[in-house]
Amino acid sequence: MRTELSTGKKTALYGLMCVLLIPFVFPTWWMVTSSVKPISDIFAFPPDIIPRAFDFSTYSKVFELQPFARQYWNSGYIAALVTLGTMTFSSMAGYAFARIRFPGANIIFMIVLLGLLIPAEVTIVPLFQMFNRLGMVNTHWPLILVPIFGAPSVFATFVMRQFFIALPVELEEAARVDGLGRFTIYRKIALPLARPALSAVAIFTFLHSWNLYLEPIVFISTPEKFTLPQALTQYTDAYGGAMWNIQLAAATLTALPVLIVFIVAQKQFVEGLAHTGLKG
Amino acid sequence: MAEVGLHSVKKSFGKVDVIHGVDVDVADGEFLVLVGPSGCGKSTLLRMIAGLETVSGGEVSIGGRVVNELEPKDRDIAMVFQNYALYPHMNVAKNMGFSLEHRGGSKSEIAERVAWAADILGLSHLLERFPKQLSGGQRQRVAMGRAIVRNPQVFLFDEPLSNLDAKLRVVMRSEIKALHQKLKTTMIYVTHDQIEAMTLADRIVVMHAGKVEQIGSPLELYDRPANRFVAGFIGSPAMNFLPVNVRGGRVLLADGSELADLGAAAPPDGDYVCGIRPEHLDIGANGAAARVEMVEPMGADTQVTVSLAGQKAHLLLRDRITSNQGDTLFVAVRPARVHLFDIRSGKRGN
Amino acid sequence: MRQRDAIAGYLFIAPQLIGITLFVLVPLGLVFWYSLHEWNVLANTFTFTGTANYQYLLSDPALPETLMATGIFSAGLVAFNMSLALLLAVLLDQKLRGITVFRTLFFSPVVVSLVAWTIVWGFLLQKNGGINGMLQTVGIEGPNWLRTPTTAMISVIVVQVFKNVGLNMVLFLAALQGVPRELYEAARVDGIPVFKQFRRITLPLISPTMLLTMIITIVGSLQVFAQIAILTQGGPGMSTTVLVYYLYQQAFQFHYFGYGSTLSILLFVIVAGLTFLQWQLRRRFVFYEN
Repeated sequence: MRTELSTGKKTALYGLMCVLLIPFVFPTWWMVTSSVKPISDIFAFPPDIIPRAFDFSTYSKVFELQPFARQYWNSGYIAALVTLGTMTFSSMAGYAFARIRFPGANIIFMIVLLGLLIPAEVTIVPLFQMFNRLGMVNTHWPLILVPIFGAPSVFATFVMRQFFIALPVELEEAARVDGLGRFTIYRKIALPLARPALSAVAIFTFLHSWNLYLEPIVFISTPEKFTLPQALTQYTDAYGGAMWNIQLAAATLTALPVLIVFIVAQKQFVEGLAHTGLKG
Repeated sequence: MAEVGLHSVKKSFGKVDVIHGVDVDVADGEFLVLVGPSGCGKSTLLRMIAGLETVSGGEVSIGGRVVNELEPKDRDIAMVFQNYALYPHMNVAKNMGFSLEHRGGSKSEIAERVAWAADILGLSHLLERFPKQLSGGQRQRVAMGRAIVRNPQVFLFDEPLSNLDAKLRVVMRSEIKALHQKLKTTMIYVTHDQIEAMTLADRIVVMHAGKVEQIGSPLELYDRPANRFVAGFIGSPAMNFLPVNVRGGRVLLADGSELADLGAAAPPDGDYVCGIRPEHLDIGANGAAARVEMVEPMGADTQVTVSLAGQKAHLLLRDRITSNQGDTLFVAVRPARVHLFDIRSGKRGN
Repeated sequence: MRQRDAIAGYLFIAPQLIGITLFVLVPLGLVFWYSLHEWNVLANTFTFTGTANYQYLLSDPALPETLMATGIFSAGLVAFNMSLALLLAVLLDQKLRGITVFRTLFFSPVVVSLVAWTIVWGFLLQKNGGINGMLQTVGIEGPNWLRTPTTAMISVIVVQVFKNVGLNMVLFLAALQGVPRELYEAARVDGIPVFKQFRRITLPLISPTMLLTMIITIVGSLQVFAQIAILTQGGPGMSTTVLVYYLYQQAFQFHYFGYGSTLSILLFVIVAGLTFLQWQLRRRFVFYEN
């Protein structure tokens, strides 16, 4: 389809894409700009695209009303652990399913794939009971263990398996002739070459953990242990009405770092995701 | 260095038998080529020697030691793969030194071996490069370098030249031969290209459908192919096959014209398939009449397609000819260059 | 050596297998077990009632509404998501200067925190929010988006699609770029018009990607929770109470764990059934696989 286009067609395409961009870009822009508007300007008719006046006090309120720094740390370290854990175990399992022949491999793979069909929501009740028994409700354990070992990791395993299947098998045969055992082949040959798939897995996993909402509100009940998604919804006044500008400031703080990392590394991001083995 | 022995080696994938019992003894320092059409089992056989495929039956030995159950790393072999299998994330020096490093060689020792191998293969200026920065021929050399640094007992080559273009293939072919002359290590080489087999081998094993058709030196195979398959596979352009009747030593074509007179060397009277290499059909004043159908000059040689007693045949002539399509030539063969094969079994009859 | 390799295989998959067993299979079994019980956490009762929960499920007056909302939500989301993703991918596949900037921007909501994104949209969709503000400048009186049944459903779908369509877009784009150029060149030489090229060459060749993304999108649509919890709380009325949200209400707001488990089983059956169905359809609609 990639043919040279005439100038007229190009202009039309640019125009179309700019219009389509509005719902993708405007909300983020609005969030950032409104977080520094005085509350009275937020509801200005017609809305201001660029703030008329600045009020940065919302940002200090974010930290006054809740232990926001603590919550930020909670989300960050949980997402980091989940990402590392998933990368480790999913790449191992994906490698084995792709490369090692062992009795029952297919059946076990089917069982693991079953995890894709079982949304966390289906098992949330028994998981709550299990963690309750273990005294782990209102701790971060469920938010760490379930994503690393449960259903969300299955997708990662699938992605890794698809990648390893596509890796030339001669590389590993050469390594075997060179005297490497299974684990060394995995660690020194397969894993270093799996960077694209690993980064895709890392991105998916991080975002999944960072966005987790149902699990935190089911498992966590004290503000010091909240994660960000949960914390964001807590900026309400005594009547339960949202404190919009403070909420938007907190939302900006939550969204902006990830967004900036994304824009800096967008090439790797997008291309990593595009090569997840979903090409069929 | 070591000899390699294959004794009734069999391979089956599930219920499908792909190799039906192969016996070959490779002498120490020999260059043995396994050749055959794709799917004949030659690569599988090589991979069994390497230990990359399990042996379903029989015995594989290296240096007098049965290695059926040994891991590749314990067989003291090195292998060059068709697509080179260079580690993309390591530079040339790392690629070549990787196995030594893994086997616990000291840094200086590894560097020395790598430098030695790089010197032999003309890679010294490329040691810092990564595989993707190399040309096809350079990659091929690195793959060989990776094999020779280890100084193994046996080298295994799995169609190492088939990813190169025609010109480079000829260059690398000579390099491999030179390498063998220098190292004098046992080499087993798989190819589907009979010219590679002819030029490189001390001995050739021709395989077909999981069986060995013939083992012999290149010229033995060329001069006295044991059956019709080997006759057709070895030699380029390929051998002509014509239905003939042998009567009293005379080889007669379907129209009764005489192609050659074998005299006392002739097999019993009867019908045969006669094999004649294109370069062995001579034009003369008498012989069998052949109508010219096509003339293809190639510079050094001229290939002529003729119709001989209703059958198509090719001639390869050193001399240029002035004949055109439709002209008639007279062709004959020297008796020593006539190959007669049994019609049914395809076995050599003379 | 076979045997040692097999042991290595088991060791490699052991963590995941144990994890799946512990956090997926056992809970799935427990869900089924719970669903056979009357279980009120507040009253601390746990009594075996056999199929009572399932009988109640069939007569639950809220169930048809919930299923209706779930169906509308999923169907709308998948249709809108897939077609927008394809449109954007085709646009981004053009030879244009600065196209990666557009790609980055279209993709950006994927990396914006879900709850933050939802909160902003919730704000924009207020009666006196930004969207109605903009509509007013062109003289249109916008509805109270989240408080009117039809527009509430449209709103949650749209918010979710804009959030995540970038993912499918990127996957489609990769698939489009994977179609060999020579095929288009051959088609051009044969004089096949661009639209027909798209229908007869592009679509069949990217159909494996489309099927996989569709399965993932459908399963994903059945799990949408945060957006609904934040934007509409299932309302107005029950117009946006999808199955997951209903399940959450029953189990964690009203503490009917037994009935909540029954709803979980229903959700599982729907997800598994849909996936199975699509896997079957693959044979008929996916023209090409490598």
